[in-house]
Amino acid sequence: MNRKKRSISQTLTYIALGLWALTTIYPFIWVILNSFRKKGLILTDSFSLPLGDAFTWENYLTAWQRADFKNAYLNSFLISGTVTVVVVVLAGLAAYGLVRYRFPGRSLLYSLVMAGMMFPVFSTIIPVFRMEAMMGIAGTGNRWLSLLAVILPQIAGNLCFAIIILMGFIQSVPIELEESAYLDGCSVLQIYFHIIIPAAKSSFATVAIFAFLWSYNDLFTQSFFLRYPQERAITGLLNEISSQAGVNYGLMASSVVLVVIPVLLVYVLLQKHIVKGLTAGAIKG
Amino acid sequence: MNSMIYKKKTPLLLFLVPAFLFLAAFLFYPFVQNIINTFMKIGGLGRAAEGLNTPWYENYIRLFTDPYMRVAMKNTLVLILCTIVFQVGIALILALLVDGIRVGAQFFRTVYFFPIVISATALGLMFNLIFLYKGGMVNQLLLSLGQLETDVRPNGKVIVYWLDWKDQAHFLFTMLMPVMWQYVGFYFVIIVTGLNNISPDLFEAAALDGADGWNRTRYITLPLLRNVLCTCLVLAITGALKVFDLPWVMFGAGMPENQGWLTGTYMYDQTFNKMNVDYGSTIAVLIVVLGVVLSNISNRVFKPSEDL
Amino acid sequence: MKRILALILAVLMVFALCACGQAQAPAAEAPAAEAPAAEAPAAEEPAAPAAESVTLNVVTSYGGDDGNRANFEAAVKAYEEATGNKVNDGSATSNEEWKAKVLTDFETGSEPDVLFYFTNADAEPFISSGKVVSIEEIRAEYPDYATNMKDSMMAVASDGKQYAVPSSGYWENMFVNKKVLEDCGVAVPGPDYTWDQFLADCQTIKDAGYTPIACSLFEVPHYWFEFLVMNNGTVENHLDIPASVDDETGAKWVAALNDFKALYDAGFFPENTLTASDAETVEMFNQGEAAFLIDGSWKVGYFTGNAADLNDFAIAYVPGKGERSASEAIGGISMGYFITRKAWDDPAKRAAAVAFVSLLTSDEVLSTFVTTEVTALVNGAKPAGLNPLQQSAADTNANITAIAGAVQDLLTAEARGDLFSNIQNVVTGKMTPEDAVASALALN
Repeated sequence: MNRKKRSISQTLTYIALGLWALTTIYPFIWVILNSFRKKGLILTDSFSLPLGDAFTWENYLTAWQRADFKNAYLNSFLISGTVTVVVVVLAGLAAYGLVRYRFPGRSLLYSLVMAGMMFPVFSTIIPVFRMEAMMGIAGTGNRWLSLLAVILPQIAGNLCFAIIILMGFIQSVPIELEESAYLDGCSVLQIYFHIIIPAAKSSFATVAIFAFLWSYNDLFTQSFFLRYPQERAITGLLNEISSQAGVNYGLMASSVVLVVIPVLLVYVLLQKHIVKGLTAGAIKG
Repeated sequence: MNSMIYKKKTPLLLFLVPAFLFLAAFLFYPFVQNIINTFMKIGGLGRAAEGLNTPWYENYIRLFTDPYMRVAMKNTLVLILCTIVFQVGIALILALLVDGIRVGAQFFRTVYFFPIVISATALGLMFNLIFLYKGGMVNQLLLSLGQLETDVRPNGKVIVYWLDWKDQAHFLFTMLMPVMWQYVGFYFVIIVTGLNNISPDLFEAAALDGADGWNRTRYITLPLLRNVLCTCLVLAITGALKVFDLPWVMFGAGMPENQGWLTGTYMYDQTFNKMNVDYGSTIAVLIVVLGVVLSNISNRVFKPSEDL
Repeated sequence: MKRILALILAVLMVFALCACGQAQAPAAEAPAAEAPAAEAPAAEEPAAPAAESVTLNVVTSYGGDDGNRANFEAAVKAYEEATGNKVNDGSATSNEEWKAKVLTDFETGSEPDVLFYFTNADAEPFISSGKVVSIEEIRAEYPDYATNMKDSMMAVASDGKQYAVPSSGYWENMFVNKKVLEDCGVAVPGPDYTWDQFLADCQTIKDAGYTPIACSLFEVPHYWFEFLVMNNGTVENHLDIPASVDDETGAKWVAALNDFKALYDAGFFPENTLTASDAETVEMFNQGEAAFLIDGSWKVGYFTGNAADLNDFAIAYVPGKGERSASEAIGGISMGYFITRKAWDDPAKRAAAVAFVSLLTSDEVLSTFVTTEVTALVNGAKPAGLNPLQQSAADTNANITAIAGAVQDLLTAEARGDLFSNIQNVVTGKMTPEDAVASALALN
């Protein structure tokens, strides 16, 4: 392959990738720009830089004043953090068991997990609510219990997806690795922790990110269980603000930015680990 | 595949019991309850069943005679097809392209994921501004390009005939495009992770054999990605069947003129707005049945060699 | 003052009618019996010892963008400071979803201690299951409870008892954009505005390049529905529900839907009325693109916060047709404070809940609420410092000769949802008005 041809195809590759990147970045920039724009100007002129007269901090001040962001961040991280950890631990074990073992009822369990992934949350939420109310978790007005009331169904809701994804990756781990470890005298649990987890590290990180994001962004479950202000999590807060804002698009934009920044941080931080996982954990042989 | 390591079944309990206990309590039991509800007459969310429907399978008959349900099915099937072709397709192409470059791969990986990070509520607000009737981003652009008809009244007032992006002629695009766009990054990450799990030795060997880029992709990458792609397919189908939040924020109840229903939004509307809890539950059952059937079919078609 | 009196009388009448319709037991307990007993036991000073602070779970509809949100918050704060108790405020914006959630809470035993909720058919599920305490029972222990209210104006449940202490009332009427009207040479409608004048004005406005009526038929057709129904009947029979589509009331509803279609066919609604959101069309009206908007008293707050100049807007009259005069409107008191059985049976919370409701429904607090023209207070409310639009509303309300409650409140949630989602099908000709009415009645 000659060098020239190669560089042309490289350039085309970068153009294609760059174009798509533009579509994913621009909306962010657009929202950020408009969060600094004075009220009323968004509908007439949303594309220019908000400079001079058009610039304002007011949207952020209003958002911060109107809502208790600090508390909501704390609630969101408690909920989503717990959900992520529990999902990764449980789903990893279950996926490993389902992939490597042959036992009666295995395909039944697999079908159940598949089906579980399709259960719309709206169809399970009411029975879950009744059950949790009976157990004295939901609807007590107690902040910590309410957070738990969100965590439990969210774990169940994310588990199926996580199991399916992890199964896909554990399947692609060459079984020879495990066999040689077994010959070296490792127990099954040791194999799981020393072979499988390192090999599928990146997949675990992927699953963790999705579990975190879905939990963080899941407005529906939040709005069902978290009613009182001190329990409110961040997505519920955004919804609250946007319903109050009416056509105050500047306020909406600033709230969106405030809500998105923490997840972006978490994502970018975890992203580093993924890459580490990708390179260090790559399976040789 | 069934290695001797896994002949002893006792550790299996430890692996499976915790996860499935959780699923049983918070997913399967509620869903069984949901199935029971489909045969009941339930007047409101909080109310207990008032007894069996007459006939008890009434809701299932309604499912097949309800014209809006037909609309929802049609739109959802379109969505599934578009999801498979565009979402997974674009994601695969982007993933392969990113795999082929050295500089900046990390950057693309990070930014492609951005749309998933934002909540659907926020995205919905954003796309509503983009497709807004009067003065939205797209319409502003069309106007400045002279693509919109205008009319001047005798009193000098200029009327612009804005393009209604949510009317019967345009809603499908306006509704599907944001959903497509948002989740490309999702499948992208899954596929990239899959690509990274492929041993580089295989490529080196292939390169030594003189295989060029396309042949490497065709004969090594794609076959090895089969499991991952199959997972993507299943996720795409099930995801499309229950897509809810973005269309709901943008279109609400069946806009325009009841032509814009999706199975997810129709079910939500029936359950939480029309208080038709039993019928909403029935739609939920249909969503699950369709999901299981369609993903089984796709598994059969695309994964013939592997068991499960 | 005389006019306000007339208005109050009208409300009273409406409620009496309601009561008759619901339970052949019109206002069973006369206020006379309770009034002298007011000073009997002196020991029930609300939470006077304040032994320890109580946390009350309170759910109201004063959430989100409600015009009275700030007033409600101020009152809650005053309560917290006065009693040392804490209020756990779970307020939200009222819509069908919120109503359903509240009912689910009762069903699962996680209801709040104090609830501000609709007093009509919506409240029946938890009233009939005994989850809230009647005013009669509360007064047995706290004789002063809600004595500043006219008992005759408290909603009567199907068991003949009263449960909720009324708060501020509401009205629905025509908002107009005076600037647009001026530009089109159309006069601001007065209390004698007729349907024919209105149609002619709409045509003029349309020809001048404006949208005559700001309304999202997709999201909020119910304001127009109420007035169109009243236009085809009278204020007295407005709250009748058809038994079938063929009876007199059914014919009235069908005629109303036909009027709807006529307005739509004439092109008086916005181009995108079937796909626009309520927020969009209201903003269109606010921006001077449309002339008329029917909405409720809660919308005044929106314009106060968003209008460039409040003097551009006024509250006028919905054109009258047939036996209805434009000076007749929709309004009343549809919500009130309930104390739940759960709070009542909790010795720590009983006094706190009573004190909370008493404070929130006191003359002083209710006078701060924006919509004070419709009130159940014995002494009336005394609002002060009205802005131009609020003043306009007060002026108009002084000319209102009769009001009726919204008939949609008497429908079940299913029937209501079905009817309003079918209006778009009726105006586009996909469904006949008869079928739409019949379909809704089948669910009622």
